[in-house]
Amino acid sequence: MKIKDGYLLRTVAGSNIVVPVGEGTMDFSGVITLNEVGAFLWRVLENGADKAELLAKLTAEYDVDDATASNDIDAFLKNLKEANLLDE
Amino acid sequence: MEKLKVADLNVLIKYKYETMIKQAEAYKSDFEKHNIFIDIPDSEIERLQGENPHLTLNDVEYIFTGAAFYEELLNFNGFLLHSSGVCVDGYAYLFSADPGTGKSTHTSLWQKYLGADRAHIINDDKPALRIMDGEIFVYGTPWSGKTDQNLNMRMPLGAIVFLEQSKTNFIHPISVQEAIPLILQQTIRPREASAMGKLLDVLDKILSETPVYRLGCDMSREAVELSYNTIRRDEKK
Repeated sequence: MKIKDGYLLRTVAGSNIVVPVGEGTMDFSGVITLNEVGAFLWRVLENGADKAELLAKLTAEYDVDDATASNDIDAFLKNLKEANLLDE
Repeated sequence: MEKLKVADLNVLIKYKYETMIKQAEAYKSDFEKHNIFIDIPDSEIERLQGENPHLTLNDVEYIFTGAAFYEELLNFNGFLLHSSGVCVDGYAYLFSADPGTGKSTHTSLWQKYLGADRAHIINDDKPALRIMDGEIFVYGTPWSGKTDQNLNMRMPLGAIVFLEQSKTNFIHPISVQEAIPLILQQTIRPREASAMGKLLDVLDKILSETPVYRLGCDMSREAVELSYNTIRRDEKK
């Protein structure tokens, strides 16, 4: 899975902001805010990753058990798919 | 080619119609090296006028030289905000909203109630904001939309206020998350990743240091008192 082309993630005054650029602007013209975990997962997904890799990286970076991490990841991926931001 | 100084940048620019001649006069300068070069060929101006028959060649030159400047401004830690900018006691306050909402009306009321010797309109349509030596400045530019209200000056940014018409007056600060889409709607939104990255870098600095508000106003004296007393950054007397 990989984040679709055409989106830029940047930290602006402490907030993690995603804006569409290039091709992305045709689908969507708003702004998305990600929390810290979301921003972390997003960055991993920018380079492409499967669920196992996301789980491994998240639990390595944050002090969280596998079950919670897995739920958080599923919820995040669901949001991305619904917003049409993910290439599977 | 004329030499102008706008937003502390050396601009080498070609223009020949009356609005630019009049508006640019206050910005004339001299320099060896330019930072920005604007030369729209006559054929291009004519072509654009053909595509926009409601505009004259003069209008086209004015609009598109401005567009060229503001696009370049992104490369110099700056951007434009569609807003009416009023300067009072050492700070510039920008009132932003969609056209027709009443930003110019509101700032003209500031002039009326605070006095035109104390409140100056720095640019009534699109002031330039620029980070210079670690500080955020608002600049007047020759390009100020339909009115010719602009001043060749710079002032530190005091606050950004997003304005809406409302039966009752209110003002409250808003978060970075709320402010960013509002700002993007009132500037030239870059399509391309590296230009957008530059804009977000500038916003990172500005939103880290500048309060942003939402103001609902009924265009009365009370509305002015509410906004002024809430957002003023000079020392309280």
